[in-house]
Amino acid sequence: MSLIEVPVGPQHPALHEPIMLRVRADGEKVVDVQVVNGYNHRGAEKLGERNTWIKNIFLYSRVCGICNTVHAQTYTQGVEFIGGIEVPPRAQYLRTLIMELERIHSHMLICAVMAEVVGFDSLFMLIMRDREPVMMLKELVTGNRVLSDYYTLGGVRRDVDEVKKDKILKVLERVEERVKYYKKVFLEDFTINKRLRDVGIIKPSDAVRHSLVGPTLRGSGVKSDVRRDDPYAAYGEIPFNVITYDGCDSLSRMLVRLDETLESIEMVRYILKHLPQGPIAPKTPIRVIPKGEAFSRVEAPRGELFYHIVSLGGDKPYRVKVRTPSFHNIINGVIAYKDANIADVPVILTSVDPCVSCTERVLVIDEASGRSKVLRLKDLSRGLR
Amino acid sequence: MSKVVDYLRSLGLKELEIRQPRRYMFEVSPDRLRDVISGVIKVSPQTYVSAISGVDYINEGVIEVNYCLWVIEDKVMVVFRVRVPRDSPKVPTIYDLIPGALNSELEAYDLVGVVFEGNDKLRRGFLAPPEIVSQNVFPLRKDFKV
Repeated sequence: MSLIEVPVGPQHPALHEPIMLRVRADGEKVVDVQVVNGYNHRGAEKLGERNTWIKNIFLYSRVCGICNTVHAQTYTQGVEFIGGIEVPPRAQYLRTLIMELERIHSHMLICAVMAEVVGFDSLFMLIMRDREPVMMLKELVTGNRVLSDYYTLGGVRRDVDEVKKDKILKVLERVEERVKYYKKVFLEDFTINKRLRDVGIIKPSDAVRHSLVGPTLRGSGVKSDVRRDDPYAAYGEIPFNVITYDGCDSLSRMLVRLDETLESIEMVRYILKHLPQGPIAPKTPIRVIPKGEAFSRVEAPRGELFYHIVSLGGDKPYRVKVRTPSFHNIINGVIAYKDANIADVPVILTSVDPCVSCTERVLVIDEASGRSKVLRLKDLSRGLR
Repeated sequence: MSKVVDYLRSLGLKELEIRQPRRYMFEVSPDRLRDVISGVIKVSPQTYVSAISGVDYINEGVIEVNYCLWVIEDKVMVVFRVRVPRDSPKVPTIYDLIPGALNSELEAYDLVGVVFEGNDKLRRGFLAPPEIVSQNVFPLRKDFKV
């Protein structure tokens, strides 16, 4: 049988960034997948070398829309370490609060996308409906529902009061109830189980050897979480469980996220109950940072986010190296596709929570005859019928 | 205490000062790098490459390659700092020892111009756009002006 190449992309069937998966298949079985990337390299590292320390907080927030506060956290905590800047406890708690709210909506988003990819459109709409109040909470705390720009060197830019606290707790009650229901759906629904269980197997040893991070790693039963192992912000003081599942498949990765969402809701409650009093930011902005370097790590919704920041002193960084979790999970995660069905490619890709975009069509080329046919995303999700 | 850090100290590597908690940095020469990393994996197999970060120190004529490894069991980050001359920045690949280093090596080659000898998958254009690749320049070097 001739090999068929299915280029999925340069926009791909999940979230919003351009990348291409060049899938080679023998009939329905995937032989190998090559990731073609670089369509949208924006040069944020180079630009960061020209910007001032403060301006870069806003630049690096924009590396990723969905997880913008974790980027701001990783950058600012690195700079604060180099500069020896003390962050007040209340600001640390507020930072943790906003990062956990972000984790809740990010995990709900990918669960919704997964529902859509497996063809369960009504579940997609329901999860997205229930995610919206969390976005509103983010707006309530930071002033913006997506790009929050909440951080400043040495603190945060807005405080929460009792009215906001009550509103957050009230909304999360409803969100918790819904997420518990969605977990039940993912566990019990026949179609979801057929599409996700035993699909995209990543063995624990492979997950570590291929440097996979976050829920993708924990879905293979490896207990590794930056929040627990390398605490930052207020994580050292907040009790939570590191969720792992041993299934090593796409379903396990989704269940890790659903359980983490429930954990995050509990963490938000704890934070609001134990929020320390005091200032939230230094009185004067900090502009000059001394010589030094930092290796900054944060547990983003998709896994370990890493920044290497080098300062030679002055008002600008010398070098900022950014390594996002999806950089590992998408490119090194290709091991999960081997021997999968073509129809499972979007499922496996979605299960690693990729930060890349989708288009409405793919091109199928039959290598033997050279014929090509344009397919829409929906056709691909439904198994190239 | 960390088993990996004890092992690295027993090798007599030069330890560099780093004030951050749970971070240990060692200076390694390119010819010892592979042995050191193989040793770390033997001591603690649950170790992954967090990032490979290249920094161009143009005034010193040196490119610094920082291998940042996270040791899951010991909960420490070990950083191996390799300094190579800027006009011939060659280091051995570790992609065959830790397959998860592949994307980091491709990135460091494409953007900083560090050559990972033995990595047959090195190619330009991994992240850099074609107009940059056609000029044969490395955008994250300090002599590349925007």
